[in-house]
Amino acid sequence: MTDEPDLQAAELALGVLDGEARAAALRRVLAEPDFAAEVERWRLYFAQLFDLWPEVEPPEDLIERIDASLGGPGHVRTRRAAPWPLIAIASSALAACLLVILLLRPAPEPVAPSPTPPAPIASATPAPASGPTLIAMLGEGKTPIAAAYDGAAGRLRVASQPTTPSGRVAQLWVIGGDATPHPLGLLGPDGLELVLAPADRARIVAGATLAISIEPPGGSPTGLPTGPVVATGALSRV
Amino acid sequence: MVRTASPDARAYLAAMLIATGSEDRAAFREVYRLTSAKLFGICLRICGDRSAAEDVLHDVYLTIWRRAGAWEPGRASPITWLATVARNRAIDWRRAQGGRQTRPIAEAPDIADSAPDAEAMLVADGERHRLVDCLEELEDRSRAAIRTAFFDGLTYAEIAERAAVPLGTAKSWIRRGLARLKECLDRDG
Repeated sequence: MTDEPDLQAAELALGVLDGEARAAALRRVLAEPDFAAEVERWRLYFAQLFDLWPEVEPPEDLIERIDASLGGPGHVRTRRAAPWPLIAIASSALAACLLVILLLRPAPEPVAPSPTPPAPIASATPAPASGPTLIAMLGEGKTPIAAAYDGAAGRLRVASQPTTPSGRVAQLWVIGGDATPHPLGLLGPDGLELVLAPADRARIVAGATLAISIEPPGGSPTGLPTGPVVATGALSRV
Repeated sequence: MVRTASPDARAYLAAMLIATGSEDRAAFREVYRLTSAKLFGICLRICGDRSAAEDVLHDVYLTIWRRAGAWEPGRASPITWLATVARNRAIDWRRAQGGRQTRPIAEAPDIADSAPDAEAMLVADGERHRLVDCLEELEDRSRAAIRTAFFDGLTYAEIAERAAVPLGTAKSWIRRGLARLKECLDRDG
């Protein structure tokens, strides 16, 4: 208890911080579960103000455009052919990523009768020799978690997951130059392997930090870590 | 002002959101029907541009479709979760514009001063709006600055710029208000 109340959690939840002040508050979210809980409490307080927010009807056809951009069986076709330019960009970026996976994937086994366990980290990078390869060891003690990034393929692998309470998941984050945690994916018992979107690739650089937090099923609902951070490690070039 | 949210409306929205998490397209359209006016109001106010707000709202519902499974009943009410997604996404959009737009456009309607009718309430969890009540206790400038920060998604620096006051002044308005809010909220348990 001090005379000067600690308002950093409220400031972060309200969204008034920027730059280094915001980065410092986010570091506390990562490092101090009590502080993270305080931020969450303030977020829920401020959320009461959403009830005061006046409603405005969106354009009538927007739901059809959204539905169309989801594609799939529920797709209701409308006359509007091009849903939204960014969606197209996102889709082609995704297609490019999938193409990279196909190109870089080792030749399939002739017969694959049973699911094979994931290849060890060492063989996970059959990439052409361009683009940096970065590694990080997350956590301390006897069982750090290895992570490797193949810059040529944009492929990130994490070898395992930390001990995770039942009903919770382990979520991987990268904290780069902006000091803001960005979610990368959820870890399973075999860790994680994924090809990163371009925006995330730009964040995977030597010196950036990978962190794992414990989150509700499906991952953090807020876009920032909400649970305890159980392992962190800096990326370095090999 | 003490009002209670309609539990039926909240439970129905929660059920639709959970079904959306299982990729139920009809449930997703229900979520949209129930919430799009609120979420569009948020996007419009923060983006300050109707066409941008439509694009952001489009993106918000794609995010909701993809991440509905991550919503955890019991942590935040469904509309809180949805509105937070919309607010964050709209703020991201505005900041990506380099802050050239810091004033809400005329077509964004004003924010009410007091708690709304029970019909319109989806957030408060059968409780009264404690924060809204506590805001009433603040001095005018602190209350106005905190409301601006929330509803327009502004930082200290942006609030100072908009009010044409030094950064330190804007900070002290808000910090004084937050300290007072903290007392009020702690006092009420």
